[in-house]
Amino acid sequence: MTRPVLLPALLLAGIAVAGGGAGVWSSAWAQSNGGARALAPGVKVEVAPAPGSGSAPAAGKVDETALRYYARIGDGERLEAEIARLRALDPSWEPPKDLFAPQPTTAGVDESPFWTLLSAGKVAEARAAIAEQRRKSPSWQPSDKLLQELDLAESAGRIRSASDTKRWQEVVDAAAAQPEAVACNRLDNAWRLAEAYAELKQADRAFDTYKTIVTTCPKAKERRDTIFKASRYLKPEQLRELSALGATSNPATGEDYSSVRTAEAELETGRLLERLGNAKPGALSAADLSRVQGIVRDKQDADGAIALGWYFQKQKNYAEAQSWFSQANGWAPSDKAAEGLVLAYNGLGEKAQARAAAEPWKGKSSRIDQVLKAVDPPRGPSTPGGGRSAPQGPSELDRALARHDFAGCIAIIRSSIERSGPTAALLQQRGWCLLELKRPSEAEAAFVEAQALAAREPAPKPAKGGASATGKGSDRNPAASGPPQTPTREQENVYGQAIARLTTGDVTGLTRDLPRANLTPTQKAEIRASLMATEAGRALEDKRYHDVLRLLDARREIEPEPRNLGILRGWALYNLMRYDEAYAQFKSIDDRLSTEDSREGVSTAWKTIYHDW
Amino acid sequence: MTSPAGTSRRDMLTGAASLGLAAFGLTAFGLTAALPGTVRAAPYDGNAWRRYAERFLLPEGRIVDTGNKGISHSEGQGYGMLLAVAGGDRAAFDRLWGWTQRVLMVRGDGLVAWRWTPDGGVADRNNASDGDMLIAWALLRAAETWQAEAYRTAAIAIVKALASGLLVEQGGLTVVLPGRDGFRKGDTLVLNPSYWIFPAIRAFAALPGGERWGKLSDSGLVLLSKARFGGFQLPPDWMTLDASGTVGIAEGFKKQYGYDAVRVPLYLALDGYRDPYYFRPFSTLAAKYGGKAVPATVSLPGGTTTQVAASVGMLAVYRLACQLAGAGGEAVTVPPLAPDEDYYSTTLAHLSALAAQSLGIAP
Repeated sequence: MTRPVLLPALLLAGIAVAGGGAGVWSSAWAQSNGGARALAPGVKVEVAPAPGSGSAPAAGKVDETALRYYARIGDGERLEAEIARLRALDPSWEPPKDLFAPQPTTAGVDESPFWTLLSAGKVAEARAAIAEQRRKSPSWQPSDKLLQELDLAESAGRIRSASDTKRWQEVVDAAAAQPEAVACNRLDNAWRLAEAYAELKQADRAFDTYKTIVTTCPKAKERRDTIFKASRYLKPEQLRELSALGATSNPATGEDYSSVRTAEAELETGRLLERLGNAKPGALSAADLSRVQGIVRDKQDADGAIALGWYFQKQKNYAEAQSWFSQANGWAPSDKAAEGLVLAYNGLGEKAQARAAAEPWKGKSSRIDQVLKAVDPPRGPSTPGGGRSAPQGPSELDRALARHDFAGCIAIIRSSIERSGPTAALLQQRGWCLLELKRPSEAEAAFVEAQALAAREPAPKPAKGGASATGKGSDRNPAASGPPQTPTREQENVYGQAIARLTTGDVTGLTRDLPRANLTPTQKAEIRASLMATEAGRALEDKRYHDVLRLLDARREIEPEPRNLGILRGWALYNLMRYDEAYAQFKSIDDRLSTEDSREGVSTAWKTIYHDW
Repeated sequence: MTSPAGTSRRDMLTGAASLGLAAFGLTAFGLTAALPGTVRAAPYDGNAWRRYAERFLLPEGRIVDTGNKGISHSEGQGYGMLLAVAGGDRAAFDRLWGWTQRVLMVRGDGLVAWRWTPDGGVADRNNASDGDMLIAWALLRAAETWQAEAYRTAAIAIVKALASGLLVEQGGLTVVLPGRDGFRKGDTLVLNPSYWIFPAIRAFAALPGGERWGKLSDSGLVLLSKARFGGFQLPPDWMTLDASGTVGIAEGFKKQYGYDAVRVPLYLALDGYRDPYYFRPFSTLAAKYGGKAVPATVSLPGGTTTQVAASVGMLAVYRLACQLAGAGGEAVTVPPLAPDEDYYSTTLAHLSALAAQSLGIAP
């Protein structure tokens, strides 16, 4: 279609091919785009021998390196000058026909810039730079190694993003396409693959994936973490198998796998402790129980010991309960441990011991003051037992409360009201029990009703030891500075309503009403602390991490930080990129009692610090 | 927000493009036997241009989008001007450029209103950056081909208007906004990967003061490496880019790969790119459907495909992508252009042929 034309003339004039139909975008155009300047586009460059010349020039006669270089970069002016120079050297020389064809002369492209980008995590930038290089040097190919590493980095990224957005099948597909992306050195991705299988209900494959990890990845810590990860999806017997395999398979020299062997037991302890809290008596097998006891003892875990104490207390095994509460109190004295201890001694009939156990907290902890009523029941008509005065011992209701039997509490109050009508005290107690049963709306209604009734009742004598609030939330301890003011029944009702509103999430309304509410300073402080905790949780959700810390710091002035808020603090620190502090925070919580929450914090912070994703 | 070329207009492509009818056509008219001979794309030449002009170029100088109620738009004018230059038809080029100036360049800022309807004239004054870029690039090519400085001057004016109004920096990248108005949602930009017309951008970068266009080109490759979604790792028709440089699939548009993004491999090939990495998503999609009834759109990231099949022109793009991805051109069967093949499909077919010719992988 195109006519042979002389190259120099074309380059100089850049004119279109005369006649002969349409000019066609030519290969010269595309290739010349490799350089900063375009050759005359719109023309078909075909280098033909000059008129009168013979066959193709003998190779090697002249050095065409520069010529080819100018052709490649598309520098027409210099190319033309070089042709003139070479012609001057050798009048019989003709420009080579393949001047614009890809030449294998660029094989020696330096790959280091691409590796630099890749190692900086700039995978897309590395891809872009390679594509640009390949456009300029079509004969060049990146090394297989470089391509593999790029594929790997991309697959890993793809697995992460698919898993973050819960596209589980894509996780599986991406891992299948690039198995190296889920190898031991990318453990997080291997976990994501197992999780994807589990979410896709392919339990066997999930188990197999975890199994591969714990039998092939050499580090004990990784095997152990894998078992913790797997605990969300696998059955206890599968976890036991993983633990056993991980402790023995393909051991690497210098690694101690004992922590792998115990991982499953620790997990189970965590689970059992949780179950202990709400377990019906006898729900745990003897083997389970002895495992929990062994680990709680090993770790000197006070929270675990308290849980065990309650477990036995509910079974009326007061001796065993007393021993665990004592342990807990010995490891870390607290009113919670003392509360259990008082009730356990009381159950054993050792009232003096019970009183002695309560002594350090008397007047300082409403929890203790309440529980003492089971030891020395108050007398008089205002007893929470309602119409049924029980001077000789704790009332049926007191006993239910001491057992933490809140459903029983509701039932007893109902029958009591049916028998002899409602009292403000009964309704109030009903509120507390409903709160414990996580029925806050009904609880709030009960407190309102109690308040209304109290206004019609004759003013009660200030009850010794305070009004009934036995069932109050288990984490609310007044930080008493100075003698605590005993709340009136009115205040108790207002307080109960406030707690109920907190539970239903009415933070705004409560914050607004709190300054005017008729509450004792201790009660107000407690509510404020709870409000701040809720606000801190919201701040974390809104990513206002500085606010989280500010709220938690202020809250810590009122009362000690419980575990869940400690975790919250850890995430705020983490998100503020204060990774070392976050790690220390999670670690200290995890050391006390390792749960999924604390482990996740520790492991995430650790990986971030050490780039171990 | 006004929608630029490509958001909705191609969704009405139906008829011969649907799977059922395409299959019916092939068998009913005995065309199957002719297929082996048509595996090679028809070359683009003066004859091809004349046939194109007969079908889509009206005497007054506008290209008709036959797949879309006969409207015209800046993109069509740009494609027409490019094909006219490559077809060596200066008279047609001047008609196209004249109509574009007269009718579409009414904004007063040097950019082109993107959409014109036979009933209402200019129907959307917003520009579509790809249309502006195509027109400016065609002018530059015309200036070189016919040695006419006036074309070059006009091109430079459009390129300057684009650079000052549409090129922006975000997340360390230089990007082109799809239109002057809209496309910013808070800190996030809405972008169209197929508006990276690489050969045009390269031509702009070679102009004096064209450094930012060079960066736009570099950024385009980075974005195309990042904007890979779903099982096929395809780019979306519309994407987002946030301030940290993270890309996503744009909300408020169809979340899909389709009529817009199919041009991504075409423009890369037209600019001489041959890295298989950038062509593999498209060749993988084509290969999945045996190179025949490739779906016209794929939802992202889910991967749901439409019943509508890719047009002949889209198949031509897939054939090119397969060749460059190393899968071989025979992996895709490209039927000949039908007598009533629509504007967009025909344009893609011709541009694919030009790209293959310029890469030296087709005569």
